[in-house]
Amino acid sequence: MPDGQTPLVSIENLRVEFQGEDGPIVGVEDVSFSIAPGETVCVVGESGSGKSVTSLSLMRLVEFGGGRIVDGRLEFARDGGVVDVAQADPDTMQAIRGNEIGMIFQEPMTSLNPVFTIERQMTDGLRMHRGLSAEAARARALELLRQVRIPEPERRLKQYPHELSGGMRQRVVIAMAMACEPRLLIADEPTTALDVTIQAEILSLINRLKRETGMAVLFITHDMAVVAQVADRVVVMYRGNLVEEGPVQEIFAHPKEPYTRALLAAVPRLGEMRGKSAPEPLRLVGEDEHRLTPTAPAERGPLLEVSHLTTRFPVKGGLFRRTVANVHAVEDVSFVINRGETLALVGESGCGKSSCGRSILRLSQPTSGTVLLDKRDILGLNDRDLRRAWADMQMVFQDPFASLNPYMRLSEQVAEPLTNYGLARGSEVQDRVAGLFDRVQLPRSFMSRFPHELSGGQRQRVAIARALAVRPKLIIADEAVSALDVSVQAQVLNLMMELQAELDISFLFISHDMAVVERVSHRVGVMYRGRLVEIGDRAQVMESPQHAYTRSLLSAVPIADPARRTIGEDMNFRPIPSPVFPIGHEAAPSVYEEVAPGHLVLSTAFD
Amino acid sequence: MKLPAAFRTSKGLIGTGLVIAILLVAVLAPMLIPADWATKMDMRARLSPPTLAHPLGTDQLGRDLLYRVLLGTQTSIFIAGAAVLMSIVIGLPLGLISGYAGGTTDNVLMRLVDTLLSFPALLLALTISAVLGPNLHNTVIAIGIAFTPFLARIIRGEALRVAQMPYVEAARTAGNSDSRLILRHILPNIMPAIIVQSTISLAFAILAEAGLSFLGLGTQPPDASWGLMIQASRDYLDRAPWTALVPGAAVALTVLGLNMFGDALRDALDPRSKGAS
Amino acid sequence: MSYILNRILSMLLTLFLISAITFAVTNILPGDVAMMIMGTQSNPEALAGLRETLGLNDPLLAQYGRWIGGMLTGDWGTSLVFKEPIAPLLIQKMTASGLIVLLSMTIALVCAVPLGVWAAVHPNRWQDTASSSAALLGVSLPDFFWGIMLILLFARALHWLPSSGFVDPREDLLLALRHALLPALALGLGLMAHLTRMTRATMTGILNQEFIRVARAKGLGEGTVVWRYGLANAVGPVMTVAGLQVGYLFGSIIVIESLFNYTGMGWLTYQGLLNRDIPLIQASVFVIAAVVMLANLLVDILYVLVDPRIRLS
Repeated sequence: MPDGQTPLVSIENLRVEFQGEDGPIVGVEDVSFSIAPGETVCVVGESGSGKSVTSLSLMRLVEFGGGRIVDGRLEFARDGGVVDVAQADPDTMQAIRGNEIGMIFQEPMTSLNPVFTIERQMTDGLRMHRGLSAEAARARALELLRQVRIPEPERRLKQYPHELSGGMRQRVVIAMAMACEPRLLIADEPTTALDVTIQAEILSLINRLKRETGMAVLFITHDMAVVAQVADRVVVMYRGNLVEEGPVQEIFAHPKEPYTRALLAAVPRLGEMRGKSAPEPLRLVGEDEHRLTPTAPAERGPLLEVSHLTTRFPVKGGLFRRTVANVHAVEDVSFVINRGETLALVGESGCGKSSCGRSILRLSQPTSGTVLLDKRDILGLNDRDLRRAWADMQMVFQDPFASLNPYMRLSEQVAEPLTNYGLARGSEVQDRVAGLFDRVQLPRSFMSRFPHELSGGQRQRVAIARALAVRPKLIIADEAVSALDVSVQAQVLNLMMELQAELDISFLFISHDMAVVERVSHRVGVMYRGRLVEIGDRAQVMESPQHAYTRSLLSAVPIADPARRTIGEDMNFRPIPSPVFPIGHEAAPSVYEEVAPGHLVLSTAFD
Repeated sequence: MKLPAAFRTSKGLIGTGLVIAILLVAVLAPMLIPADWATKMDMRARLSPPTLAHPLGTDQLGRDLLYRVLLGTQTSIFIAGAAVLMSIVIGLPLGLISGYAGGTTDNVLMRLVDTLLSFPALLLALTISAVLGPNLHNTVIAIGIAFTPFLARIIRGEALRVAQMPYVEAARTAGNSDSRLILRHILPNIMPAIIVQSTISLAFAILAEAGLSFLGLGTQPPDASWGLMIQASRDYLDRAPWTALVPGAAVALTVLGLNMFGDALRDALDPRSKGAS
Repeated sequence: MSYILNRILSMLLTLFLISAITFAVTNILPGDVAMMIMGTQSNPEALAGLRETLGLNDPLLAQYGRWIGGMLTGDWGTSLVFKEPIAPLLIQKMTASGLIVLLSMTIALVCAVPLGVWAAVHPNRWQDTASSSAALLGVSLPDFFWGIMLILLFARALHWLPSSGFVDPREDLLLALRHALLPALALGLGLMAHLTRMTRATMTGILNQEFIRVARAKGLGEGTVVWRYGLANAVGPVMTVAGLQVGYLFGSIIVIESLFNYTGMGWLTYQGLLNRDIPLIQASVFVIAAVVMLANLLVDILYVLVDPRIRLS
């Protein structure tokens, strides 16, 4: 806290409890910190840390979620003097909410009322707090939409939320929160559900609004890279307690608490792999240093050869559910994965990276192209032979809570591939399963458990064990660590890298996270609108990107280093057009230019 | 073992208690009460209000309502249970195949099911019963057929949802055959929905049986069921309202118990209520 | 617009299927129609004669063709019980039933929506417990039992309303309503209970959504948040559930109309069923299913009007 300044918000000894089945559960405990006018304070923590509870308490919205502020003061400096929000009556709170404190939430897709127009939702707060006429409120709403740089603001007012993209909706929500020029903006994970380019736009928008209006920002996030880009001061929380607090440079450069150090160690930073030839496990606090490190694969020939892979999904409509259009999910994609190598496919949501992985396994049926695994044509196999081919290639899915059968014991689920493929029988099966549990560093006592008894990271280890059971040559990891907390994510990433070094497995690593991709991959392919726009060695793509899309994607990635602030105040990216095309649409073939040996850049223009 | 939280509520406890009590009556009453107690006519006590000799009163023929209601339990429960079982036996494979196979099979089957859903279930049951000729077994068939489209729809929706779960795809790549996939991975995961739906259907079937019998198109004398007892009471409502109230209360208690039990079951089996860490 | 066109085409297909199912249920199931009409003891010659006049010796497909042809051209056959052409009879009875169905739906919606919202706003408090318990009891009682209770209370004990009969609203509107009120209530109470439960469930889901939190964060009062932001989103789903219950109502009128001697569609169908009047059964089952389907079509079209997500896609 800079000296001599009255804080805008001062939280003292906050304690919030929730009514649990067996007595109260503590949401946050003894949390104290303050926010100065015009300052951005980031509250950072993993799931269950109580970071959102803190921000909801400040709005007294926590009560609507079944929580209760049992102790502490929440002082907020209003014009007429300081108010303790914890004790304020409902009328006072209503006058503060949306007027003096604005708030934005995580899910832009559900933050707006789907059956009201944008105008109605933007003006009702203004009319209530400011007593504006319908005319005046409309004018102010237009002004706000322009301020958050929404194109065609007049038209937007008449539209309904579902007609707007996710990024635009979040801009509307921000405009709504800014309507009455609040002195504090609370942003609760405002970019978590967004793609990286839209995240950059929203972060830069919040930065600009903060400078223009002089409001303070309380920014809740789990993402250290975002913290590094926007924070003035940082509050680290863990399991309902405040762990550490300090200026952002201080926290990143000299973290005092072990938890903060561990958290920072687990975060991959874009650019830190510069000059390294092979993937490298993250150095986690408290783990032994001599792990197996993957090396650059010796030239041992291709394992998976994908050429001209195209997958289209029909859009059904009409009386007899005929095909009325096609989603061009994967469009003429070709690449090779060598033995023992990791190829990462990166791109934003809807770019076709997941469909590409699923098409290789034929979990989605490709429209055309060839997929050769060990020279065997996968797309030509009948159902029975395809099942056999799966013994060589396995998949790990994104959602650890949905990828295990909730009604089956874990050992049974890991044993299934062994018995189905005749790889083991009798007592041998249990031994092999036990070995697999060892391999993914899970205690053998977990074997007889059911999935709901495990945490997300543990479940993902089971999913990996199940994939490993058949000793596959290729594992397709579809956003396999995206749903995990950062420290757990680091452990699972390290496990995958170890397995590769030890078992010589090839990975197709599908991810939206550039920093993670940089850490784990030998080669990188960037996907955009169904096509592979650029592919090459990790260093080639990450350090000298050639395609315009790769460049803009990289420029949008927040770096977990406050000394390298790349998120400016005015970032704008081109929105991604719809991948739906009419029947009979002829897509041009993908043509590549080889800018360096093995570094291909798409030269086909998008229509 | 600790009872799931949903069953520790008063609703769950009352529901479970009622269901157990009614099942006990259905099984034990015919063993413990001689059948002729319910048919013995006491001509001096016709339409008698509740007395010490007849705690729940008597009907127009002087038969004891308590015994009749207790003995009628088995008939009503049997009809409802058999009808629901029948609708599951037909609806489960239909719904599973439709949801799992998708495509044309699904389109054709669901178009048919949707059309059948345009027929009010009671009307369908009444028509089938009238065409087949009303008796106890045809009542089961009529209610069973009438309830099938509804169950098939629900099972199909569940199968469709579960078939798209990553764990089913993972199980597929783990080398499971279609039949193993359906039996080991899809079926167990739609079981909770089927169980909950069956409980609710059972409640509806009790009501439907009562309705059918009330109209004379369900159970026929000498079989005794609650609906039949209410039908018999219609001409004596003024003088002896208890002749309607006693079997009516039996229906209400049973259906209430099943509904409460079903609600608790649904809450207990809701994945959101499971301790996801 | 193409959505509505699609729905209409789909409706025609469903109508065809309804007719086929109706015909199948009344014909393919074991049981000789002529025997059903005349009874098992009738003389064989008369039976043969009846088979001939009804065309029962023709192939089933030809019989179906003749029947559906008649239905399409307005010749719905003659009732065996009433010895009258079926079409005018059905139309007249349908208006009588329409009165109590509409009345009961109105009563149910007017009471159920506020009760359901009230319960959803106070989850697990006494308001919720009271409203939910009453609703649970409501769905657990057979509707004819409601009918009997209503007769005992309002007709026999209080003498406020007549317990049976139908009066044409065109002759005496007030009297017609007095006669329609008890059957409508008997139909409506169970429906109301069901809709209360559905409204509560729908609203509970809506009140947990993010946009409700956003509305509160804007400083809007709880009243606005619940009754405007919340309820506007519940209209569509509640309407859909109510629409689906039209089918349930048209099943229940068979019981309720016979209980109250209210000579509408349900009563007529019951007479047909009791006397095995196959032409009457076929026509009325077909008409009821068609009306139920139309009601659902209407709800789907209304849904388009209340939900911009469908309207604009």
